Amino acid sequence: MPLDHKRLNGPEESVPYELFLRHKQETVEIKTLDEVTKDSDISREHPKIYLKTGTVSQAKGSAYIEIGETKIIVTVFDPKEIPNKQDYSLKGEISCEFKYAPFSCTKRRLHQQDNEEKRNSLIMKKALESAVCLHEIPNFQVAIHSLVLQNDGSALSGAIIAAGVALAEAGVPMFDIITSMTLEICRSNEIDSLRKMTGQIQVAGEKSHYGTIIISKLHANEQICQVHQTGFIPGDQLKNYITVLSKSCDSIAAIVKKCLLKEVVNHIK
Amino acid sequence: MPLSEAEKTFILHGVDENFRQDGRDREAYRPMELETGTVQHAFGSAHLRLANTDVLVAVKLEIDAPFPETPHEGKLEFFVDCSANATPDFEGRGGEDLAVELANTLASAYQSRQAFDLRKMCILKGKKCWKLYVDILILECGGNLFDATSLAIKAALHNTQIPKIKAVNIDGDNIEIEVSDSVSDCEKINIENAPVLVTLCKIGQHCIVDPSLSEEQCTVGSMVVAATKNCVSTISLLGSGSLHQDTLFQFLDFGCKIANRLNEALMETLANISVTNENVGFLK
Repeated sequence: MPLDHKRLNGPEESVPYELFLRHKQETVEIKTLDEVTKDSDISREHPKIYLKTGTVSQAKGSAYIEIGETKIIVTVFDPKEIPNKQDYSLKGEISCEFKYAPFSCTKRRLHQQDNEEKRNSLIMKKALESAVCLHEIPNFQVAIHSLVLQNDGSALSGAIIAAGVALAEAGVPMFDIITSMTLEICRSNEIDSLRKMTGQIQVAGEKSHYGTIIISKLHANEQICQVHQTGFIPGDQLKNYITVLSKSCDSIAAIVKKCLLKEVVNHIK
Repeated sequence: MPLSEAEKTFILHGVDENFRQDGRDREAYRPMELETGTVQHAFGSAHLRLANTDVLVAVKLEIDAPFPETPHEGKLEFFVDCSANATPDFEGRGGEDLAVELANTLASAYQSRQAFDLRKMCILKGKKCWKLYVDILILECGGNLFDATSLAIKAALHNTQIPKIKAVNIDGDNIEIEVSDSVSDCEKINIENAPVLVTLCKIGQHCIVDPSLSEEQCTVGSMVVAATKNCVSTISLLGSGSLHQDTLFQFLDFGCKIANRLNEALMETLANISVTNENVGFLK
């Protein structure tokens, strides 16, 4: 990959110092899905969320979100004509950029998009495509930029929620409110305290099944507009996890509605 | 080639009747041809033809240093090349998005240890490991790329021969590796649990597998499921479009079922292929 030599790129290879810690870190206990559902009503279970619109004055629409310790800024700019296109297209386009700030993760990120960021941009784009009325903005492209300031799990989900709100603020016609949530299934019920993420739901897997599931949901018709899962999970258990995620998305929808209402009230004042 | 409304309705009705354009039912794949060991300079290769879709996969091995986070594991990298031969849409940078999506899906499907154990690729902990480059070349595009590539990859990995390491000499920071002199002295990779990808398309009220190009245009939503032995290693929605939760679960069950069947068929074929060992190549 060609490097940008005008920037300070840092050393070519670096290793996180945590790998050399001599003493074992403290472990945190994590409950299995059954235990969690027994103890409490999991439909209310999601990390603490703070959501605010209109944070960037230069953008048409913008939003700032905190999920647990994860912090993300999303901006939406005015629709402009699709660049490098000869024929007229009846549908509009969305372009998404998902970027981690260099200081956002435990390991330093480069300025260029790496593979994970590209993948996340693509997932975000696909999720938002089903929420936006693309036929209402023919031959136009809406650019969405999201910057993760601090990553503590759920960065992609947070970006999708904030992008939905920012699009609404920008006045882009949309079908519905979009929400998203991430669930991580850990290998055992005790994990390193370094791996404890405040931004996402974490449960312990059974028989060392593990993985990450991200879903995003449109609420009016209960449509799931994006699912992405990695790891190794038996099919029937996967359904339980998705059901839990879907319920927690429902409770996030209330927060998004409140935020939009506040925005409208402020606008009228 | 875009379809007219009437053509779309025809396909939709066909799916409703469980009798598709080419006479298949909803769960059937088109005929496949599989050949292994076609590329001489690769450590393992496979060439799969699924009706009009043509995929060539080659595996190259190199010695590399493992990631500091995973000192016990080797590396695996997928690279997809959508050549402009396949369809005119791939001209210039046209195929890039598809290639990235395909490579990412494959990488996340092979990510888990149960699916593909990279610990076997480690030579010396934290110092040396094998790196597998899986290069996928799309020669012709006739729909259902994901399934065809995953089958070809599994076959190519099955075909891959890893040279045996005779000795590892450590002299300070210097590490010398002695590889066995005999060409036939090789190890095979265990691909028992390697996932196969199944693309599912929703047309009308039903769900079909192995869509042809024209059927792909009629779908309201499609999803890729990577599964082995009832365990799912990746799911991802393709393109735009959304599904109800119940439909999603129906997809999942259906995908697992088809993946199991596909896996059995592939393993059986691979077991037979090594016996005959008759090379056909591209010219027949």
